[in-house]
Amino acid sequence: MEQILRTVGEKTLNEAVHRGVEAEAFLMQAKELSIEIVEGRVETLKQAEETGLGIRVIKDGRTGFAFTSDLSDKAVKNAVQDAISISVFTTQDEYQILPEKAVYPDIQLFDQDTAAMSLEEKIEIARSVERCAKSVDMRISIIERSGYDDLEYCNLIMNSKGLYAYETGNFSGIYIFLVAEDDNDAQNGFSAMSVRKVKDLSAALVGKEAAINAIRALNARTIRSGRMPVILDPYVATRFSGIIASMVNAEAVQKGKSMFAGKIGEQVASPWCTIIDDATLEEGIASGLFDSEGVPAQKKIVIENGILYTYLHNTYTAQKDRVVSTGNAQRGSFRGLSSVGSTNFIIAPGRDNKDSLIDGIDRGFYVTEVMGMHTANPISGDFSVGAAGIMIENGILTYPVRGVTIAGNMAEFLQNIDAAASNFRFYGGKGSPSIRIKELSIAGE
Amino acid sequence: MIDRSLLAEVVQFTYSKGIDLVEIYVEEKQASNIFCEDDQIEKVYSGRERGAGIRVVKDYNTAYVYTNDLSRNGLIKAASIARNAFHGEPFTLPQPINLVNQEAVFHINYQRLPEKVAFEEKIQYVLQANQAARLVSRLIRQVTVAAADVHKKIQIANSIGEYIEDDRSRVRLLVNAVSESKGIIQTGYESAGGVCGWELLEQVDFDDMAVKAAEFSVRMLSAKPAPAGRMPVVMSSEAGGTMVHEACGHGLEADLVQKGLSVYRNKLGVQVAAPCVSVIDDATMGNKYGSFSFDDEGTPGQRTVLIEDGILKNYLYDRLTAQKDGRVSTGNGRRESYQHKPVVRMSNTLISPGRDNPEEIIAATNQGLLVKKMGGGQVNTTNGDFVFDVQEGYLIQDGKIKHPVRGATLSGNGPLALDNIDKVGHDLGFSIGVCGKDGQGVPVADAQPTIRIKELTVGGTALAPGN
Repeated sequence: MEQILRTVGEKTLNEAVHRGVEAEAFLMQAKELSIEIVEGRVETLKQAEETGLGIRVIKDGRTGFAFTSDLSDKAVKNAVQDAISISVFTTQDEYQILPEKAVYPDIQLFDQDTAAMSLEEKIEIARSVERCAKSVDMRISIIERSGYDDLEYCNLIMNSKGLYAYETGNFSGIYIFLVAEDDNDAQNGFSAMSVRKVKDLSAALVGKEAAINAIRALNARTIRSGRMPVILDPYVATRFSGIIASMVNAEAVQKGKSMFAGKIGEQVASPWCTIIDDATLEEGIASGLFDSEGVPAQKKIVIENGILYTYLHNTYTAQKDRVVSTGNAQRGSFRGLSSVGSTNFIIAPGRDNKDSLIDGIDRGFYVTEVMGMHTANPISGDFSVGAAGIMIENGILTYPVRGVTIAGNMAEFLQNIDAAASNFRFYGGKGSPSIRIKELSIAGE
Repeated sequence: MIDRSLLAEVVQFTYSKGIDLVEIYVEEKQASNIFCEDDQIEKVYSGRERGAGIRVVKDYNTAYVYTNDLSRNGLIKAASIARNAFHGEPFTLPQPINLVNQEAVFHINYQRLPEKVAFEEKIQYVLQANQAARLVSRLIRQVTVAAADVHKKIQIANSIGEYIEDDRSRVRLLVNAVSESKGIIQTGYESAGGVCGWELLEQVDFDDMAVKAAEFSVRMLSAKPAPAGRMPVVMSSEAGGTMVHEACGHGLEADLVQKGLSVYRNKLGVQVAAPCVSVIDDATMGNKYGSFSFDDEGTPGQRTVLIEDGILKNYLYDRLTAQKDGRVSTGNGRRESYQHKPVVRMSNTLISPGRDNPEEIIAATNQGLLVKKMGGGQVNTTNGDFVFDVQEGYLIQDGKIKHPVRGATLSGNGPLALDNIDKVGHDLGFSIGVCGKDGQGVPVADAQPTIRIKELTVGGTALAPGN
């Protein structure tokens, strides 16, 4: 595959250089499999192949971009032409440069077992998630869907400065959405897991987690409004870390869209809080040898004991801030330009076990689910999200709660983190343990 | 576009014994985007994409294969994979598939298709809107203006012998303004879009949108924290229909109903909302953002009454779910692109206008929250619980609109909220969005008149009066 993509990349760059522009070719080839199981039968089986080229040209500091899914000579030529004619309309910007060639870390991202496993075996994994969930409790009444997915990809980046980067990798995942029901109530449960090595998938863990999530929420009630200590489940904590990731994004910072602007070296969170962005983890879903511009993968301590050390940069934002790119250029596909994004974004675990976080709380809220997290505002830091969970009374978990909202500001949230447990878990590219917030505002009745 | 006879050949090739449906969906897309931030045109791009998705259905199980290789070989290879998913033995149909053109009842006339309008002109509109927003106040710190258009040509052919060709163009405009004062940052957002070409600008004033977004971000700087607690909520028609879409619409999609994942299951003919409430899904509302001539299975777009005077009348169906219930598709099988199988989706969804005067609704409210603009939301269809972000909210006191509030969310339960509606205005306001379901986004429009809900939980950081 490398040879095929390389040939197209060379043609693209030759065409661009011939027309007197600097250029970058991003080529992608991906194979996707997804299996969706309902009641033991394969409801949907999806298999797909996709290839594409994204071409970025820079002429006199002006950038143009075009993409095509057709890699024929004619289509490639047209795309180069489109990118060049578009570049005329963009603003001249001295910080628009292509990265230099580099040496890449040696990280193994391809799992032979995933590639060798038969379709039947993968279907069986998906079925076993459903079985595991059902075996937990009689009250698991509906399996909305459960499934297995995997993706195998090749990425190739080359630019007119001589940079050449190629990687191939794969990953796999399982998930389940289900409903628990008793005489009075119905509640949803969900769990998922994505891994680099297919043998690390645990149907038992995912099935059980989803079932417990649904069952413990049955017959939940609302509570009186007030301020109280809050503990976030690892999954919920990763939802919040998504907002933190957008606040340390250099693009947002430079455009005045982050409350972390000008805060490097300052105490932006409590001493309990350490956050790492690490693209080099062999087991990380968001790992790679290089970012989407071909800059080598790196490990960065973003916040250590509450002090903000760095923003996440791509080549452009780094150039603007006169620093070195942190290798955080990211693009969803060949269809768009690179922007800035987190890789494996980790809230570091602490030493306490999960239960000791609850000890000593007279009246508090253990959050297991948040709704509407995408409505939180990374610019102002304000958030107000729907939540469900379990009430904490006199140091123990008591009754399930739903129909409440938790609200506050991220600045306050970060300063109020007063414990992190040891139960670290990844959900996709975000990982966290359970964390405790000293006090948050809860709205109920 | 692909030759019809080749499509017939691929459908024929994919068919095997016992298969219920074979369908091929071909898409040829041209898209462009203009993005202005920091007072400069930052990103402009354009692209072309072609792809086909082949779907095989047997006993309600689906195999879906897609590829961007549209050569005969590429299609036959994809077709083989799809056929093999059911271990089907090749089977020759008694006679070749005869593809017959389907007729739509609703058509959209495009005036200025995206490729007919020069980049220079589109960029000019974006720059003007950017200027307009920045002139609003010296407190404006950032303005983002974006314009995106897409033109798709679609072909669908299936083993029933149906064939359609469709031409679809959409334009979408966005403005986001950020203002700052004394360390407080607030944002304002406006969007507009339609199934149309650039004639959209005859209906929508882009500069005016920009000014509105900017003014709103400035106004919110002086907003007070939203109250927390249960209270009456008046939703202005300007808020659009996000609530009806999320809190009610999704629960009426037949796939969720059939899986037992909807609170509206087994409720046909039952009173599920206050008698003043009627809910309609209508794909044929001019060039609204959720309109279409054909859905993505080739069924003509139509108008479906879901709730009439509070009584549940119908669910939304695609081909498969309709067959399961012994019904016909309501033309709601939609997909994001050739990379996705169609699923049941809404089009333009609305609460029908009622009889009350919108101003009187507010005047008759002693204390509560007025919602002028909704943000995003999420709903749990199984139990009907929802939560929404309020983008623009005001406190109502003694029937009068008081100061703006920030950081409010509304949470409640869909059926309960619909049952709690006690006033329905005679106005109607639209909002547009991209609705996500099963990992696919499709354009939709939602609408509602001014309505009052007797009680909802407002989540804010300030405690409500009396609490």
